[in-house]
Amino acid sequence: MTRDDAAYRIMAHMIPFFPDYDASVQVASALIDGGASYLEIQFPYSDPTADGPAIQGACATALDRGFTVSEGWRFVRDLTARTPVPVFVMSYAGLVYAHEVQRFVKTAADAGVSGLIVPDLPVDSDEGLFAAAADAGVHAVPVIAMGAGESRLRLIESVGAEYVYASLRRGTTGSHTEIGPENSAFVDRLARSGARVLAGFGIATREQVRAVLDHAHAAVVGSAFVRAIGENPTAPADPVRRLCARLSGIG
Amino acid sequence: MNSGFFGAFGGRYVAEVLRGPLDELDLAFQEASRDATFWEEFHRIGAEYVGRPTPLLFAENSTRELGGARLYIKLEGLANTGAHKINNAVGQALLARRMGKHRIIAETGAGQHGLATAAICAKLGLECTVYMGEVDINRQRPNVYLMEVFGATVVPVASGSRTLKDAVNEALRDWAGSYDTTHYIIGSALGPSPYPDMVREFQSVIGQEVVRQLSEREVTPTAMVACVGGGSNAIGFFAPYLEREAPRLIGVEAGGRGPEPGQHAARLNGLGRTGIVQGYKSLFLLDDDGQVSHTHSVSAGLDYPGVGPQLAWLGEQGRIEFRTATDEQALEAVQFFARNEGVVFALESAHGGYQAMQLARSLSSNDAVVVNMSGRGDKDLFITARELMPETWHEFLVSEATSIAASLEEGRSR
Repeated sequence: MTRDDAAYRIMAHMIPFFPDYDASVQVASALIDGGASYLEIQFPYSDPTADGPAIQGACATALDRGFTVSEGWRFVRDLTARTPVPVFVMSYAGLVYAHEVQRFVKTAADAGVSGLIVPDLPVDSDEGLFAAAADAGVHAVPVIAMGAGESRLRLIESVGAEYVYASLRRGTTGSHTEIGPENSAFVDRLARSGARVLAGFGIATREQVRAVLDHAHAAVVGSAFVRAIGENPTAPADPVRRLCARLSGIG
Repeated sequence: MNSGFFGAFGGRYVAEVLRGPLDELDLAFQEASRDATFWEEFHRIGAEYVGRPTPLLFAENSTRELGGARLYIKLEGLANTGAHKINNAVGQALLARRMGKHRIIAETGAGQHGLATAAICAKLGLECTVYMGEVDINRQRPNVYLMEVFGATVVPVASGSRTLKDAVNEALRDWAGSYDTTHYIIGSALGPSPYPDMVREFQSVIGQEVVRQLSEREVTPTAMVACVGGGSNAIGFFAPYLEREAPRLIGVEAGGRGPEPGQHAARLNGLGRTGIVQGYKSLFLLDDDGQVSHTHSVSAGLDYPGVGPQLAWLGEQGRIEFRTATDEQALEAVQFFARNEGVVFALESAHGGYQAMQLARSLSSNDAVVVNMSGRGDKDLFITARELMPETWHEFLVSEATSIAASLEEGRSR
């Protein structure tokens, strides 16, 4: 079974070195086997201000277990070498800037990365991220939150990104999100520009995935996998594969 | 985008979710700044409630003992709630009310900003939640108690280094979900634009008073000295002098236990790197991989890995000189001014006090040095008493704990 059999397009989030390096390699395989259409690899940062408790805790563990940016690239290179599933790397401005934006983008491209998601480098304070990504042939993915004003939406559209990441509610990752008329209309609004909308924040069930995919290109699932790994730290692969398969509809 | 930058530092590096509330805040602050009635109320509360102007003390005994420059102490710590933090808390709380927000959130390190915010919220009838790292809660318990007495909810932060920066993260997370009803009062002159400008404006009341107080006494200062954590007392104290060539402006960072990584919070003078953290670009203590480093200072208020962007820029321009004082030197200054002047510096401010002592010694009686005692040391009782008279203090705490335990027991058995 692969993503080609998936009924629902999932962008599955994971963190290298959570709960440790070897287990996180298995988690990546489990997500691929579970039918993930995209992988979002979060590079842990000491101060993840957009993340809720589940991902914060996982990032702290990953840093304790030895995550470094160069280890992160090793993880990604190994991953892109063994799967055709597109890999997106997510991190924070602090880490990307410390490794120099141009160099970070170039390294990502060389590692076979399809896209980069850096929520606190928005399009008008991006430190050259979007231009560098265009040069390197990598998608820079703007993140847009529910409640953004029309002028911000137009500004973000003006960069002509092929993918946009929509936060389906305010706040941080992980707590439950009701999919209703308001956030559905928000996704529709984004999709009208022609961008592929990756919609997430608090998506954990098949019902939510189904509701989101009536409007979005893919549903992003993050904290739900982190929690599944946290509950089974010594053997996370099976529960992660089962959860992913249930959400993607191949199992 | 040039607005909100000081040279290369500053900016508004936030996730899109916070962009709207920051744009709204920027606009509201600009409008309030042009509204004379806003400032009238700010100054009225300053006079009636904060206790402004705070005195400028000629430290006569210290001057004699140090044998150099005349030393003046701006007793900012005499402001209600014990530190300069109240100036900014009042300004931002008034702004929040003007914007129709009824809930306030704040981060705090030493607890002084949280305390000031809790107090003004009690006075203005605003709901208040304060985020505070667990480490800081343990070392600044008296302030936690007072915040709760003022009716604020104090939320312990257990993530990261469990100090000030983690409290900022948690407040930012709260705000990302609550900005419709909630204003986030950042306590220092840092964070995304417009905070650095806004906090400086509210704190510049300190410097404006010093200008007036010095000119009344016909004193021309040679140097001004202030401690620098995030830098709000320093930027407010220095504000009227920033565009002038004199006096010398000296910021004092936490030298902690020494220059080894993790043992201090000194970001200027080469130890910090340019980075983007918590929404702004400035100098930060980062490890080799770009992660934010742990810091140490005996004073919770200076125990922060970043510095306000305008101070970083003024340091780069050479307008402000930066020095450090260690934990021990700060304690030495607390004792020196207590004995000589009957004034107890907060541990934070005592870093500035120590370097003011050194500077006064090196100058002549024609010179005048002004140091900002940004806070008073009452809140540090549990730290300083333990250092200065451990045995007596231990005995007292044991007897106090025993007596509380006995009355709790009695309560349970009734």
